[in-house]
Amino acid sequence: MNRRPKTWSLVLQYTFLVLMCIFALYPIWFALLASGREGGRLYTLNLAGMFIPTEWTFDNYRVMLFEKPFLSWLKNSLFVAGFTTLSCMIVATSAAFAFSRFRFKGRQFFLVLMLAIQAFPGVLSLVPVAQLLTAMGLYRNLWGLVLAYVVGNLVFTTWLLKGYFDTIPIELEEAGMIDGCGPLQSFLLIGLPLAKPALAVTGLLSFMGSWGEYVFASVLIPAPDTSRTLMVGMYSIANDMNIPWGYFAAGAILVIIPVLLVYIYFQRYLIGGLTLGGVKG
Amino acid sequence: MVNWSGRKKFFTVLAFIAPTIIGLLIFNVYPIIYNTYISLTNRNQSHPNPDCEVALTGVIEPQCWPMFTKTTSGYSTPYRLQDPLFTNYTNLVGKLFTTESMLNLLRLIGVLVPLFIASYVNKRMDKMLSRPISGLVVWFLGLLGAVLMVFVLDAPSAYASLDKSGDFFIVVFRTILYVICCVPLFFVLGLALALILNGNFIKGRTAFRTIMIMPWAASTMAIMLSLIWQFFFRDAGTINQILKIIGIEGKAWLTDPGWAFFIVVLVNVWFSYPYFMSIILGALQSIPQEQYEAAEVDGANFMQRLTNITLPLIRPAVLPAVVLSSITTFQMFGTVWAITQGGPTRGAGTPGFTEMVMVYAYKQVFQSNAYGKAGAFAVIIFIFLFAATLLSMRTTKITKGAYE
Repeated sequence: MNRRPKTWSLVLQYTFLVLMCIFALYPIWFALLASGREGGRLYTLNLAGMFIPTEWTFDNYRVMLFEKPFLSWLKNSLFVAGFTTLSCMIVATSAAFAFSRFRFKGRQFFLVLMLAIQAFPGVLSLVPVAQLLTAMGLYRNLWGLVLAYVVGNLVFTTWLLKGYFDTIPIELEEAGMIDGCGPLQSFLLIGLPLAKPALAVTGLLSFMGSWGEYVFASVLIPAPDTSRTLMVGMYSIANDMNIPWGYFAAGAILVIIPVLLVYIYFQRYLIGGLTLGGVKG
Repeated sequence: MVNWSGRKKFFTVLAFIAPTIIGLLIFNVYPIIYNTYISLTNRNQSHPNPDCEVALTGVIEPQCWPMFTKTTSGYSTPYRLQDPLFTNYTNLVGKLFTTESMLNLLRLIGVLVPLFIASYVNKRMDKMLSRPISGLVVWFLGLLGAVLMVFVLDAPSAYASLDKSGDFFIVVFRTILYVICCVPLFFVLGLALALILNGNFIKGRTAFRTIMIMPWAASTMAIMLSLIWQFFFRDAGTINQILKIIGIEGKAWLTDPGWAFFIVVLVNVWFSYPYFMSIILGALQSIPQEQYEAAEVDGANFMQRLTNITLPLIRPAVLPAVVLSSITTFQMFGTVWAITQGGPTRGAGTPGFTEMVMVYAYKQVFQSNAYGKAGAFAVIIFIFLFAATLLSMRTTKITKGAYE
């Protein structure tokens, strides 16, 4: 393996890499280009304009930020994703700790059952969930959405965190127990501090999960326009033929770039975290 | 751990897991029960409202609960249990269980037989000291056999007659086809990139890797990125403009059945190959170099090293990823919805060309209001996915606790 590969093989490999990089980046790059163009001019591009910025205006950004309800969508999405993550972490860590550390009847059964009932098509549980939320008075309410998301994220976060707790040596807690720790103390004082990296990854994944969710948000909060979440709002903008696509691109770029930066920063942990729990985000 | 008395232990465990269990009971188990019940009724556009006098309806339907503010309007007759109880089910899959359909189904499955044989032959040969033919050749022969079988068994006509048996077959078959197209592409692209990026002589590996991760990061907002992709393929979209500049007449990509399907596959591949690349890269780095060195001393070429060392050793890491991706791809909604909305249509009443399982379910509920039919569909799909999940648990073995 330590021999230098033949030159033609290296050239081939680099070509493939570069092509794949273009494939990976072009949609995002194109959205960036489109966000800096005046709306109608997206339909009369020249070849150069497809790949490099030939003109630039912040007009689309201005419209998105100040004339469209973009900021209130952003606020709604942050609210929903933030509270979902927070509540989900509180509920899921305790459950994960119990599933990893306590031996009780039906532990294995519960774990498998949890995963299996998640197999029910989420789209189809929307009708009863919407009716339940109406009965609780939470339909068309961001809190109702938070509630639905928390439960939706619960299984996957519990599994991920349980996977991490399993890797922490049990001896640490046994030592604590000898010193008189109860189960609650061993959870709060030993388990939680050790699980910090996994908590960060799981929190991020659950945040992103509820941030990018579309179907539930579109059904549970149908109106008015200002109380929608970001994805639902952006979807309505992209499919409205009267709104220039440049607006959508500008909004998309405003959302995509921060997310990309966060992912690049966390990529090492994310990959580790995912392979750990064996669950795909 | 320390011995607890039974009752104290019970309450401690309960305190830890009760919130999770309650949440799941309300938002996961209840919808399943509700849907199963609705699937036995004739609830649809013309019978949308419950009849709270019926005992079971009064218990299950939230609209009958006291805290529900009565909004039931209209004078339509309330929905009732179907007369033969499983009418919705027989409407969906009934025609599949006739002798003719079964024979047709067997013909379609028969196409895959050469591949099963190839897999079996390979397994047998792996046990021999030196294999007479390499694994790739066997797979190639299997594939060739499969293509041959398409003509021998006349698969197209079998498909055409099954196509008439109703929505269920069309939708599920397309979705399975979609999974079969997507997942191998994830794997092959991911493997190729991982192999290259794992080499020592490529410069800027970190940079390449970071760039490749981007679609995966973007996949958290799948619906938005899919909308960008959709713009490329619109009538006046980017692709058609590029084609126009070089002087080729563009076409309406999203209304052409074949192309629409291809585009949906392409976008899904774009979202998912980085995940496979990352997983495989991680697995490659844990393969000891000595194995390759020993193989090289024995004169193994690249293909032999790949099939005899790399692939078997990354298998434990890749298998769970394949299983999980297959399940998530089967349940794909956002990408397809944003790009084609299930279209192009094939006329009223039949599912469109890219109408996958979830898109079909969504349309049945929110566009046709066929709650009963959609419920029956969901229950059948749920049984499939339930089994698939349990099976995947066995292959990935992730239920092990701290003590095992």
